[in-house]
Amino acid sequence: MIRLVTLDAYDPKVVDRLCKVLYTAFGVGCEHAGDMPLPAGQSEPFDAQELLKALPSPRAYADDKILYLTPRKLKPRSLLSGDVPCSGFANQNGPRALVSSAAVKDPEAGLKQIARHAMHQLGHTWELHHCLDPRCAMYPPWTLNYDAGDTFFETFCRDKSEQRIRLAKS
Amino acid sequence: MAETPQALTLAVGDRVVYPNQGVCRVTSVESKEVAGQTLTFVTMKREEDGAVVMVPEAKVRSIGLRKVATRPEVDRVFAFLRSDSDKANLDWKQRARTNVERMSQGGLLGLAEVVKGLQVLSELRPLPTKERELYDSARHLLVAELAASLDLAEVDAEDAVDVVLFPPGRERPKRTAEEFRTATGEEDGMELGDDLLEIGGEMELGGEAEAEPEEPEVEVEEPAVPAAKTKAKAGGKPKAEKKPATEKKKAPEKKHAAKAEKKPAARPIAKAKPAKGKPAAKAKTKTKAKKK
Repeated sequence: MIRLVTLDAYDPKVVDRLCKVLYTAFGVGCEHAGDMPLPAGQSEPFDAQELLKALPSPRAYADDKILYLTPRKLKPRSLLSGDVPCSGFANQNGPRALVSSAAVKDPEAGLKQIARHAMHQLGHTWELHHCLDPRCAMYPPWTLNYDAGDTFFETFCRDKSEQRIRLAKS
Repeated sequence: MAETPQALTLAVGDRVVYPNQGVCRVTSVESKEVAGQTLTFVTMKREEDGAVVMVPEAKVRSIGLRKVATRPEVDRVFAFLRSDSDKANLDWKQRARTNVERMSQGGLLGLAEVVKGLQVLSELRPLPTKERELYDSARHLLVAELAASLDLAEVDAEDAVDVVLFPPGRERPKRTAEEFRTATGEEDGMELGDDLLEIGGEMELGGEAEAEPEEPEVEVEEPAVPAAKTKAKAGGKPKAEKKPATEKKKAPEKKHAAKAEKKPAARPIAKAKPAKGKPAAKAKTKTKAKKK
């Protein structure tokens, strides 16, 4: 089950449509688990890793994945080989993922882009690695034209995510 | 590519890399009696899922067990990933063989070579299923070892690799077969034709395909001609058993024809001698008459 937590107010239509897209992409239920305030002591742009650590968890089962959605900006990530713009964050095989919709002015119009990033981060929580196919949502998200892509998983990524979901204990 | 052989002393708590399995931690080194022999076993726990592996100490080197890569090795890997060595081998057999070798004995650099090689190849055409799996597995092992070596989260290690492989703001290059041919094909004479390059994702890399002879396809199609004719034409053709399944449903006299053809199969008769086929046909008509 995917539990979507909004960190600021979003139009319920947008949240509903996002849940539907995620349900279609992963084949597991997706529901809005409510709003949550942003943790104190951090300022925009947020460090995605720190923010994810500081966020409280809603009530969920062991194998549930929690997706936090925020309209706030995230700080570019400093990596060993350079800096990359950050639109979200999730640990491999972790239970939680964070996605920012800051790059989208109108969430309703840019829902596809938000959903693609959400799919990417949730994919990491199901142990998916980056993909070679530019059409796939698991393609590195900092690349050109990623945002223009569709909410789509390449066959290998789709099979792998389905397999991981099947192996879930609950 | 392979590491220089050196004494590998393992102690409890060491982090090692088991080829094709990933990063493990040594949990014990103890002697056990197996079939009357006392052997020293190194027991390891895979960090990813806690799977336990026991290896006799004498085999540690031969299976390719090694310590987690050091920082200079990691730097070499990043230097390699940044370099322009981006020519993939178009011969799938050779590529598969090299990649398997790199995966098992190539160390961290070998994993990086597999990842980069397949990534470059994917810019020419989509990877076949087996290679896509290999790519994922190599990437997983590479990321896990980098994360263990640099004490990073796996996601950071993966992104660090991908920032090099897929630089931000740069278009994905589109490659042509010509680029690869000049780099690899001319050296070894193992070029793939355009028709083979177009093969889709279901290419099997198993040894069975290699063993298959090329000719039978032509011969299998021939039996569409009426049985009597084939007898006269082919004479001692030794391929009666390779008829397609549809032929089995045809008239029973065809079965007889096939039987009659089997006889000369024992003799090494060349195709170009149709005269020897005649006695076989006669013999067959005689048997038919007897049966009637």
